[in-house]
Amino acid sequence: MTQRYGLGTLVRELVMVAVAVAFLFPAYVLVALSLKTPSEINEGGLGLPRELYLDNYPQAWLGATLGPALLNSVVITTTSILIIVLVGSLAAYYLSRVHSRLSYGMYILFLLGIVLPFQLALVPLYRLVYEAGLLGSYTSMVLFYVGLQMPFSIFLYTGFLRALPAEYAEAALVDGASQFQSFTRVVFPLLRPITGTVIILNAVAIWNDFLTPLLYLGGSSKETLPVVIYQFVGQYTASWGLVFASVVLATLPILLVFVVLQKYVIRGFASGLKG
Amino acid sequence: MSAVSTAPGRPSPGAPAARSAGSPPGRPRGRARRLSPSVLFALPALAVYLLVIIYPSLSGALFAFTDWSGLGEERSFVGLDNIRRVFTNPQSAGALRNAVLLAVFIVVVQNLVGLLLALGVHRMIKSRFVLRAVFFAPAVVSPVIIAFLWKYLFNPAPTAGINAVLGLVGLDGLQQNWLGDPSVALWAIGATVVWQYAGYSMVIFLAAMEGIPAELEEAAALDGAGLVARFRNVTLPLIAPAITINVMLSTIGGLKLFDQVFAITNGGPGYATEVPSTLIYKEAFVYGRYGYSTAIALVLALLVAAVALVQLRILRSREVAG
Amino acid sequence: MQSTPRPSRSPRLRRGAAPALLGLSLTVVLVACGGTDPEGGGGGAGGAGLTLTGNTDQKAALDPIIAAFEAENPGTTIDVSYAPVDQLQTALRAQIGAGNAPDVYVAWPGNGSAMSTAQLSSAGAMEPLTDQAWVESVPESLRRLLGDGQDTLMWSPGVGVIGVIYNKDIFSEQGITEPTTWPEFLAACEALKAAGVTPLALGNQTPWVTQLINYAIAPSVAFADDPDLATRMLEGEATFSDSGWRDTFQRYLELNERGYFQENPNGTTFEQAISLTAEGEAAMMVQVSTILPQVADAAAGRAEFGMFPLPAADTAEALKIPAGISSGYAVSPDSDNLEEAKAFIEFLGQPENTAAFAEATAIIPFGVDDPSTVEESLQPFVPYIAEDRSVPYMDQEWPNAQVQPAHFAVVQELFAGSTDIDGALAQLDAAYAEGS
Repeated sequence: MTQRYGLGTLVRELVMVAVAVAFLFPAYVLVALSLKTPSEINEGGLGLPRELYLDNYPQAWLGATLGPALLNSVVITTTSILIIVLVGSLAAYYLSRVHSRLSYGMYILFLLGIVLPFQLALVPLYRLVYEAGLLGSYTSMVLFYVGLQMPFSIFLYTGFLRALPAEYAEAALVDGASQFQSFTRVVFPLLRPITGTVIILNAVAIWNDFLTPLLYLGGSSKETLPVVIYQFVGQYTASWGLVFASVVLATLPILLVFVVLQKYVIRGFASGLKG
Repeated sequence: MSAVSTAPGRPSPGAPAARSAGSPPGRPRGRARRLSPSVLFALPALAVYLLVIIYPSLSGALFAFTDWSGLGEERSFVGLDNIRRVFTNPQSAGALRNAVLLAVFIVVVQNLVGLLLALGVHRMIKSRFVLRAVFFAPAVVSPVIIAFLWKYLFNPAPTAGINAVLGLVGLDGLQQNWLGDPSVALWAIGATVVWQYAGYSMVIFLAAMEGIPAELEEAAALDGAGLVARFRNVTLPLIAPAITINVMLSTIGGLKLFDQVFAITNGGPGYATEVPSTLIYKEAFVYGRYGYSTAIALVLALLVAAVALVQLRILRSREVAG
Repeated sequence: MQSTPRPSRSPRLRRGAAPALLGLSLTVVLVACGGTDPEGGGGGAGGAGLTLTGNTDQKAALDPIIAAFEAENPGTTIDVSYAPVDQLQTALRAQIGAGNAPDVYVAWPGNGSAMSTAQLSSAGAMEPLTDQAWVESVPESLRRLLGDGQDTLMWSPGVGVIGVIYNKDIFSEQGITEPTTWPEFLAACEALKAAGVTPLALGNQTPWVTQLINYAIAPSVAFADDPDLATRMLEGEATFSDSGWRDTFQRYLELNERGYFQENPNGTTFEQAISLTAEGEAAMMVQVSTILPQVADAAAGRAEFGMFPLPAADTAEALKIPAGISSGYAVSPDSDNLEEAKAFIEFLGQPENTAAFAEATAIIPFGVDDPSTVEESLQPFVPYIAEDRSVPYMDQEWPNAQVQPAHFAVVQELFAGSTDIDGALAQLDAAYAEGS
């Protein structure tokens, strides 16, 4: 493995491209089916669409009322992530810088959340949300996701912060900044790579969640994309073209976010690992 | 050291836990106290987490010792009966066995594939950024949507889906009754999970590999070390932290797997792919045995915690040794 | 922050640690997201806002009726949410368990499933509807399945049937007529198979599909000489193992042994089975009547489809059909808008609305005895219902919610060869004995 792009590297490149093509096959089937007419789909076959049939898309968009759902998903996902990043990084800062029994115990308590099966809390939490009068509100979802995603986010932030020299912040403190100021002005900007990782991983989890929004938002005007998609899929069982078009539409936004943030994903992990 | 292996704030034996925010002023560590962040920083996160996860989980766990149906107020205390039943009932015992098999499959295959992908797209090759995005992309899609797609591809007819592709490339012998054959269905689900998350493992491996200086690899190459030897002696020790994270994440994910099983087979054929998570769901919302359902959830949580802890110990000691 | 205008249910916080924490976290959230909830607070001046949770399959039927109800009752609005049956069960069980059932929700008649009348009423989750006008139109013999023995607790549009959906074009090409006895049915399958057409498409990968053929056979076989079988089983006088269920399973498996299904029914999904039928690769499929429109849609006019009862009896005279009361709607007694909710059920029960609902979901309304009043594909079934030659879907008379999933599982195991009929029947008996 030398720094030159030699024959060996070329072979490796070609092999990997071939692997990628095979890897993408299921995604290709998904998109191809969404662009076929019902009769062409029924004939079976995995080839390219004979002609580009776009009708599935507007039908899926309107039929499933994806517009408002998209807005709900965006509001819930972005608000949750905003709070997770803020609150999570702040907590991780304490957990990584303070060495006490209290902070160690707290860290273990947070890690416990990665292990717990979510079904354990499902019914009691529902009761809590109901008694607080928050059913059908964005707030209930945001609160839930902030709590649910906190353990993994804190795990990532803490790992990263451990690897980050404490001197920068201490210098700022000596210059008279308050703890909070030194965090927001000095530490937080340094967290950028891991924040990218935290954003994308949380966005994926929150955007794709289905059962909780069904429980807490069902019947309200705030239903999210997965909820309306599954209602739509249930209605058009064997209309593969329509179903796959709706699936493509629901997946595009999150893929887009990923493409924009993808360089942070690896970099964030990388800096977290180096510690 | 890795993110996992550094448990922050763990008091080393003998070291006084004096840097906490609460230590009285005037102690020798006064400057450190002023410089370390206040516990207030952690409180908002802790409050939300306690409220929406810990408190409901604990109050939910109490139902494991009752016979509550999930409706109405009628319930009585049954002690450890439910817990005992988790291990003696063939359905739940089978579910635990399936989860362990599935987790082992996912941990081994997903990480192996992830590692090969990482080695494949690491450095040099021109399309590496595109390829990384391609391999990671399935991980951002809803597992239920992925399940839906694969269910379509797992059509048992020889002229459809995966079987058609196998036929095209002359591998007719590998065509399967993917989801209908009890000895294949569990692995079909495993394959779906591997397809979705191999790129996730790859990214974590890549992150570790970025840290390996190219000179180190070159030096080894100049020494005449073969590919395998170079991997074992140079790459492997340096990616050990990534192995720890990957193995633990995939173990936890594999043992708790729900969406994919639920959406692809819902436990069938028969009970061949039933796992604790699907059974917890069914017992609570289909069979109306909420108490027993919670008992399975409790056992699952303990199992996952125990396995994760043992893994962490073993892998961390190897990291240091390596 | 409440989105649905529900005046009498203002947010109430209980004293204690949890609400205090909630207050703290709320502050965090509110500070951070300041007003992302444009519809928060009041709204709905004066009128009642009903909540309704329905089954996705019934969306097309329910939406127009809801619109009509809202038009007739200005000020009352209905917030509807639909979900597929699986998710519906979870959501409703959690909501009812927490004491927050929707005002109106979908429920199933009889017993045997988590959302069935027997299970819900024993938890006090259903408001009596006994004095509503439509109750009279439900035949006495079926009314008990809509209630707890005293009160009627849910409205249903009528009766659904299971039968054979068949491709009329293939039948006429092959010169096959609708069979009326079991031997004729086997002969028809044999002829189709010889002609290279799969006689029956079967999507047993999808759990609920597994039960349909047994349900279609049992009335003519298990219940033929033993009309009180369901009651006798409840009283412990009969079991799956020592009743006509054994012959029922045998007939089901006979179809498989003779190769009348497509390859690998266990690995084929419900949707794939529909495609097989729609494409004409298979000539028939045994399904509930509500699926017929989906098959026709998928075929997009390339073939014509009809239905006939599965002739599981040896003579045409002995044939009985499975006819289950369709899922319908119930009212939560905890509703804050009890009167409006009951008024909505009353509205659903008006003959023209029930008829419209029934037609949209391929259901036969109660009390119909003139076949010409229902949709053409359902007409062959009407005489059996009118002449009392029908048996309710079997799960509606099973004592708990475990027998039905056990039935799904044993059919899949039989098709996978991992159990035999004795084993299957023993498993069903064990599930039947659970908590009964």
